[in-house]
Amino acid sequence: MNKDNITQQDFSLPQKQSASGIIVLFVNSLQKTVRAIFIPILLIIFKSKDSGNLATIIITGSILLVVILAIVTYLRYQKFSFFLDEEKQEFVINEGIFNKSTLSIQLNKIQQVNINQSLLQQIVGVYSLEIDTAGSEKKEATIKAIDHLTALALKQRLLSAASLHEELSPNNKTVGQPDIANTPFLNLSIPTLLKVGITTNYGASFVLLGGFILGLIQLFKDYTSAFEIENSRIDQVLDRGFSFFSICVLILMALLLVLVTNVIRTLIKYFNFQIARQKNALAISSGLFNRKNVLLKPNKVQLFAYSQNFFQKRFNLLNIKIKQATYETADKEENKKTDIEIPGCDASERDEILKMIYQQVPPTGIKLIPNYRFIFLQIMLWIVVPVSISLSIGLIFHPAFRQYTILTIPYIVVVTTMLYFEFKRHRLYVNEEFIIKRSGIWDVEHEIIEPHKIQAITAKQYFWHKKADVGHLILHTAAGLIHFKYGNYTKINRMVNFWTYKIESTKNDWN
Amino acid sequence: MIDFTNDTLDIGNLPKYEEVPLNAVSKNYWNVVVINLIIFLLILAAGLAALLYFSVASRPYIYVIISGYVVFGIILFLLYKTDIGRRGYAVREKDILYRSGIIAISTTIIPFSRIQHIALDEGLFSRMYHLGQLRIFTAGGSTGSLHIPGIEIDQARQIKEILMKQINLAE
Repeated sequence: MNKDNITQQDFSLPQKQSASGIIVLFVNSLQKTVRAIFIPILLIIFKSKDSGNLATIIITGSILLVVILAIVTYLRYQKFSFFLDEEKQEFVINEGIFNKSTLSIQLNKIQQVNINQSLLQQIVGVYSLEIDTAGSEKKEATIKAIDHLTALALKQRLLSAASLHEELSPNNKTVGQPDIANTPFLNLSIPTLLKVGITTNYGASFVLLGGFILGLIQLFKDYTSAFEIENSRIDQVLDRGFSFFSICVLILMALLLVLVTNVIRTLIKYFNFQIARQKNALAISSGLFNRKNVLLKPNKVQLFAYSQNFFQKRFNLLNIKIKQATYETADKEENKKTDIEIPGCDASERDEILKMIYQQVPPTGIKLIPNYRFIFLQIMLWIVVPVSISLSIGLIFHPAFRQYTILTIPYIVVVTTMLYFEFKRHRLYVNEEFIIKRSGIWDVEHEIIEPHKIQAITAKQYFWHKKADVGHLILHTAAGLIHFKYGNYTKINRMVNFWTYKIESTKNDWN
Repeated sequence: MIDFTNDTLDIGNLPKYEEVPLNAVSKNYWNVVVINLIIFLLILAAGLAALLYFSVASRPYIYVIISGYVVFGIILFLLYKTDIGRRGYAVREKDILYRSGIIAISTTIIPFSRIQHIALDEGLFSRMYHLGQLRIFTAGGSTGSLHIPGIEIDQARQIKEILMKQINLAE
């Protein structure tokens, strides 16, 4: 069977990348070089008037370049090898033509193994394999060209070896489960994705569209000035055109455009989104042009969050974010990469995923409610202060603004409603094994963590709240903060002591 | 499985962090803070003097500026005094805790098993008084780490030693 082949492959001997992958490697380095020298070459062509010789020089030059690149790529391919050191439990990559370098990664430090395929790789039929590691010394390894079978086998070997010591611990119940890698249990259909596109992520699409429109306007301006079209005539047209009616139409058009871009973006990003159960992990793949494969190990999950807004509730859709440890890098995008997002699933599918990660659906347990002081301060900050400022400006200092003071009434209504919902949704649910925090105004989010994933605990109290016995709780995890505000401080302290006990008595490591 | 027990936990009987006696920061640390404050206030005074010297328009306000400066200085000293009085740390068997804050008093607990690495810094003035700052990092990022200034250097070294030993034990 195919499956036996996968596990039988021997990785203890140094192995090269897939031979057909040389093409990918070559195109990659060609791309890089062309990008680097493109502008200087253009400059040379435009600066020198001599035409006859130049053409031949450039043609011979580029042929020479291609040949050299081909040789370099081939040599690099020859020198690149990887193998698994069973004894030291390390994965080793050797590379370099003149400067040789060896990268070794301890198997138990491996956080995630991704198999991806770009368009070119799809044509050639190879995959790239990326290894993400945890720990303060962050290392990343990439094999750029590897065939599918080897990639799958290597991924399995890397991750199974990595979780060997975890399998021995008694609370890992996945050992006995059958391996049903090839039957995805969650598959997002195109109608579901359409619903997702309609209901979520307006913000991102709005920004994208805004940038696009600004770019268009700039382009239009450049165009008109370049061809010396009379600006005044256009201004006239614009002035006449911007009646109230046309503004309404324009806004409607813009909204429609946001919606359409949103749907298209969602479709491209999450096309054929699949989750499959594997031996010790969840395999998640998605994408139309660039197919992305992620393997997620349940015990690496730091924080599980799901959210739902009003529209999503109507469609019975949930947005899930599974967060792993982030390490502080200057690049924010880099941090985001470790989050795994499941854009649309219903409640029962969410419970299925929760069971796979935590072996159970986390029960809610004791409910903690914030003190009314929570809403009191917010009202002071968002209503009393701005309204009194605007009223005093409107009624006393600048009578010209008097007609606008009526606007404070809808402002008060809207903001009060928002604050009320924020207060009502700010809850903490606690039981022996889980901590769940609910929050949000429009998107209602639930964040779930296990006590042994906590890195540090902070209890905080303003000195004037001592008598009222009100305080705040901050749980620091490797995937962010859980902040519960204005709770009963006696209860919070009891909880802090309990979690401290939990963390210090457990043998479960956080990572 | 022989030494496995599963007694019912009485949460009320767990060790209470809020009742742990804390070690105050070293008395000498106040001197370090005073030196730093004086330097800061001198620089500020020089700035104000320059303003009064070069700008004729500001001269009528000379008494306002001087009294403002004095009040500001007093408030600064008072704030730091209360802040240092509130600070305290304790090393327990399995964790380290630190309390600090002026308006909001917060206590942070870091279990030994969650510490990633530890640093011990000595500043220029701190060294004069044999003081050091312990910095304890976790995977919780910048918010999940502790900075404890004003520990006597020998004691700081000792704590660092203990923590290092505990980390290695945990691994």
